[in-house]
Amino acid sequence: MPREIITLQAGQCGNQIGSKFWEQLCLEHGLSPDGNLRTDLPTVGGTADRKDVFFYQSDDTRYIPRALLIDLEPRVINGILNGPYAKMYNPENIYVSSDGSGAGNIWASGYRAGETLADELMDMLDREADGSDSLEGFMLLHSIAGGTGSGLGSYLLERLSDRFPKKVVQTYSVFPASQQVSEVVVQPYNSLLSLKRLTQFADAVTVLDNAALSRLAADSLRVQSPTFDQTNQLVATVMSASTTTLRYPGYMHNDLVSLLASLVPTPRCHYLMTSYTPFTADLVDQAKSVRKTTVLDVMRRLLQPKNRMVSTQQSANSCFISILNIIQGEADPTDVHKSLLRIRERGLASFIPWGPASIQVALTKKSPYLQSSNRVSGLMLANHTSIASLFKRILDQYDRLRKRNAFLEPYKKHPMFTDGLEEFDDAREVVGDLINEYRLAETAEYLA
Amino acid sequence: MTSQATENGTQRRSVPSREVLSQTDRVVNAISQHHHRSRSVKLTALDQQSRASEGEKMVSRASSTRHRERSPLRAQPEKQQGENVRAASTESSSTTSAIHQQPKMVSNSEVTLLSTALSPLALRVSPPPLSHQVQGLKKTMFLDKMGIDVQHAVIMEDLLYVLLGSEGQYIRFHERYNPFAEADRLSGPEFRLAKGLDPSLRDLTKNLLKLATHRSSVEAFIEIQSKTEYGVVNHALCAAIRHIMKEYLALMSDMEYKMLTSPSFTLNTFHIETMDMARKLTELNYIVQQISRKEESVAEYADELGTDFDKIMETLKANDGNLNALNNIGISKTTSMITKGGDVIKLLTDRLYSVSGDPAARELLTYLVREASRPYMKMLNMWLHRGIIADPFNEFLIKEQKSIRRERLDEDYTDEYWDKRYTLRKDDLPPQIGDSRTCDKILLAGKFLNVVRECGGVDVSNEIKDAPETIDDPRLLSNINTAYAHANGYLLSLLINTHKLSERLTSLKHYFFLDQADFFTNFMDVASHELRKPAKNVSTSKLQSLLDLALRQPGSITATDPFKEDISVQLNEVGLTEWLMRIVSVSGLDPRDIAAMQLSTTTPATDKSSERDDKKGITGIQALQFDFRMPFPLSLVISRKTILRYQLLFRHLVALKHIEQLLGVAWLDQAKTAAWARRSKSVPLQKWKSKVWNLRAKMLVFIQQVLYFSTTEVVEPNWCLLMAGISDVNTVDALMQNHVDFLDTCLKECMLTNSKLLRVMAKLMSACRLFATYTTQLSKTLPGIDSETADADSGAVDKVTRLESILLQYEQNFDHHLKILMDALNYYAATETVVLLSLCARLEVCMISEARNGL
Repeated sequence: MPREIITLQAGQCGNQIGSKFWEQLCLEHGLSPDGNLRTDLPTVGGTADRKDVFFYQSDDTRYIPRALLIDLEPRVINGILNGPYAKMYNPENIYVSSDGSGAGNIWASGYRAGETLADELMDMLDREADGSDSLEGFMLLHSIAGGTGSGLGSYLLERLSDRFPKKVVQTYSVFPASQQVSEVVVQPYNSLLSLKRLTQFADAVTVLDNAALSRLAADSLRVQSPTFDQTNQLVATVMSASTTTLRYPGYMHNDLVSLLASLVPTPRCHYLMTSYTPFTADLVDQAKSVRKTTVLDVMRRLLQPKNRMVSTQQSANSCFISILNIIQGEADPTDVHKSLLRIRERGLASFIPWGPASIQVALTKKSPYLQSSNRVSGLMLANHTSIASLFKRILDQYDRLRKRNAFLEPYKKHPMFTDGLEEFDDAREVVGDLINEYRLAETAEYLA
Repeated sequence: MTSQATENGTQRRSVPSREVLSQTDRVVNAISQHHHRSRSVKLTALDQQSRASEGEKMVSRASSTRHRERSPLRAQPEKQQGENVRAASTESSSTTSAIHQQPKMVSNSEVTLLSTALSPLALRVSPPPLSHQVQGLKKTMFLDKMGIDVQHAVIMEDLLYVLLGSEGQYIRFHERYNPFAEADRLSGPEFRLAKGLDPSLRDLTKNLLKLATHRSSVEAFIEIQSKTEYGVVNHALCAAIRHIMKEYLALMSDMEYKMLTSPSFTLNTFHIETMDMARKLTELNYIVQQISRKEESVAEYADELGTDFDKIMETLKANDGNLNALNNIGISKTTSMITKGGDVIKLLTDRLYSVSGDPAARELLTYLVREASRPYMKMLNMWLHRGIIADPFNEFLIKEQKSIRRERLDEDYTDEYWDKRYTLRKDDLPPQIGDSRTCDKILLAGKFLNVVRECGGVDVSNEIKDAPETIDDPRLLSNINTAYAHANGYLLSLLINTHKLSERLTSLKHYFFLDQADFFTNFMDVASHELRKPAKNVSTSKLQSLLDLALRQPGSITATDPFKEDISVQLNEVGLTEWLMRIVSVSGLDPRDIAAMQLSTTTPATDKSSERDDKKGITGIQALQFDFRMPFPLSLVISRKTILRYQLLFRHLVALKHIEQLLGVAWLDQAKTAAWARRSKSVPLQKWKSKVWNLRAKMLVFIQQVLYFSTTEVVEPNWCLLMAGISDVNTVDALMQNHVDFLDTCLKECMLTNSKLLRVMAKLMSACRLFATYTTQLSKTLPGIDSETADADSGAVDKVTRLESILLQYEQNFDHHLKILMDALNYYAATETVVLLSLCARLEVCMISEARNGL
């Protein structure tokens, strides 16, 4: 009875990230693209892994991802189905809209599609949930800028909390690149409406920022404009790293709740940012040559803003609410201890003034199937108040658009908005409150 | 006996015959079986003892001087020798003697053939009657009426009798001497010398009489110590002494020959020529006295009833009620008083050391030690190289308790099999192997071989070659060391390679330290209902089946563990803290105390009120512990004692895990319940909620830090050390010690051995446990309060105030104890357990913002 986790991939972005994620998991668990255990690998001693958190075994003993692939237009999913990993997925779990028109980057049409497809989607969810003995929760992969990921994703979040009120819902949400001029003009609308659902219905949101991903990819790969494939590989790496303790059980953090509970002390401040270091050729093609990786190096680099996978604007007050470092590889506990002391001495991480300075470390083994050239690598999951700047930016962009009432027509076509735009105002209030809460959390008044 | 001094006393050779045995044949007929055949009997005695060359020589010499046919009773032993010698001399002198008298004493003197001999080689003829008891002996001629030459001749002849154990004419046993009393025989007869002996002769005679006394006592010793129950070392010693006694006989016959043939042979020469032998016999006598005195004292003081009883029971068990057992009881009673085995060797060796300045005595004792130790060394070698005890007389340095069987290891906390099955007889170790290191090595070497053999089928015998046969062999110690190393190597490879010790330990780590805790999370999930109940209502069998389910869950890591069958669920009705407190309060972590604790927990006799409280309050999860069935011989290393330590650590970790889970449930609940997660309209309520979250988060951080510390910083590094040590270890004992050390270190570093830390930790943990349950319960009432406050209901304000005050109590309680813990940790980190510093620092890192803000 493992604590199973069902992965929902919505929209283009979600499915792209998802397919990379499953590829990564296959590598780490020694599975071939069709889901069979690879026989060409040397037998590794002590492969104490739990595949059944993310996979289940079919009758012919293939490992099948507990994943639902949902998209309203067929391009990405067809790509997956034509790719090498096509046979791995359960075809029943793949939903592609029959008309293939997509959501047209409009949140509302994505949401609407969700409503119309509700029965079909819920059937898939129920079937998948029934197939697990003690379902722990769901992982939603999506972007919040487009139509399907944000709209359909939002709808899924609502239904999940409805249907599975006690299950953990974690999302990996790709936020729009802030600096660039977006190709989707209604992006702020979509983001805002999604943010409301993420705030209300998700328990933890791992924020990924396309801009930061590109920067990181460019930095580590030394290419001017990295492809989506490359940035998605980064995301897949982060996702696999953050689930290592579930898949390779150690002394602690063997379920999602124990991972997230200390990261998210107060229910609404559940937006997490991540850093990963080092990205090397093992994970991303053509990455830079390996630098020295000691535990201290890794832990120090994880704290550097430039290694974060989301770009936020730090103010003087912004601080950490909590940190969880997942160190993979041969890490000596005494090194970890020294590094923590060093971080504290140098004041490398400032914490909220009102609560415990929760900086935790989980030590995990690396997958025995992966040959890694660096000794230690690390992932940081952090709850940082500066994430609010991201929301503020979205809110500002929304306010600018909304002032002009620009591009609202496509939304008004859908039932939610036909009678008025209260949904926008409501979402704006939720996000505004969220920003305020983060800001308040930077001060000792939070509890006073 | 009658006798007469002859007139021709001047002639030394023609000693007057008191027996008046003019005609040899007549004598033979008249005295029938007893008094006769001089040399021949002596010779038969010699023959009987050993047909050494001297014996043969004697035979030839004897037959040359003897014209009489061999006695039909030649099988009769030598007790008669005194008479015989006399007869012989009489005979030889009879030709010259003119005086003949009829023997009169014969009718009274009865010597009978004993139906059973005392010991295999002992005499089977009863001692002859004592002269002073025999009536009608004719008065002998008084010495003072003789001239000095006659005295000389008479006394010389008497001495020959006496030196062979019989009474003489003028030299008689003292009345006190009772030849039927063992003690008298062992101390040797005292002699009375007839009055009137010339002083010049008397002193020499007295000197020679000492020799006679010693000779008798040694003879008696040989006879008595040769009894079966005296053991092989005594037998060997007796054989060695017999060898010397044979030399003695040869010397005596030589003396007689000289007396008969050489006119220049005087008492003085007699004395001088027997001096070496006298010294030897003095030494032997000393030893005889030592051994017999020791036996006496043991007999007097030994309060051996207990051990005797054990032995009897043992014999009874071993023989399974066989009749023999009953017979043995009688023996076993006396055997406990016998000086035997190592004790004898020890005695000899001690004597050897103390006479080392005297070359002759040293030579003698060296000889005795060497010979006596032969059978002992044979046993030692069997034990060292084969692990076999062939010790029918319980004289070896290792004692085997056959009643202790290895099956008992399962339930036995005191490791009886290992500790008590084979034990050293510490009191009677020969000094050569007596120092504690050597004898421990001996004990362990054989013990290990036995273990290996018990594990079946393997031929563990070390070829016994070049093994020292005597205890004074310089190779003795190196032989022991080699055997010890060999046995260690064998058992280690058996444990590590054949029985996969490392894999077992890894399994234990899975189950008791939860290093891959997924199965345990599953178990807690499926068994949550059962584990919530009070411990006494929990069904162990149900838990067992649930555990089996969790362990066998395909895909779970434990599903592939080969030893999952050996694990079982137990419920310990005493809470961990309570239990540990009791252990700690006894004194440190002595294994015996733990064993005692274990006993006291299984017997419900203790009437402590605290215990009752504890039992009432304890839930299934707190009582839960695993047990691991460890097959032999791994159970030697992973014994009940160590399993107990595993269980203690396990319960500590489970308690932490459980609280972590409770807090996780509370977290999920608070995130998923709208009344919690939504922003409340009432500001005080919203603030209160934030505070609840904060306290919950603080507790979770605390618990996770302690858990992280206990596992990653205590168990894991120590584990790595242990595993690294296993491949380096040379001896099984070192291995066992490493293992126990590992566990003790873990216990200590997990703060389980310090009463103060234990108490604070218990408080903190129960605070966390209570708070987690409290907040989860609140989820039911919170929506109501939430809506009331939203409606600005006046009653709701009170409710919120009450909530706040309860929360404040929790908060203060937790903070207070946390502070105590931090102080205690700081103190103990500085004074005894350095590792705690690390936990301390980590808690400081996490909690420091608190201090900063004075929360």
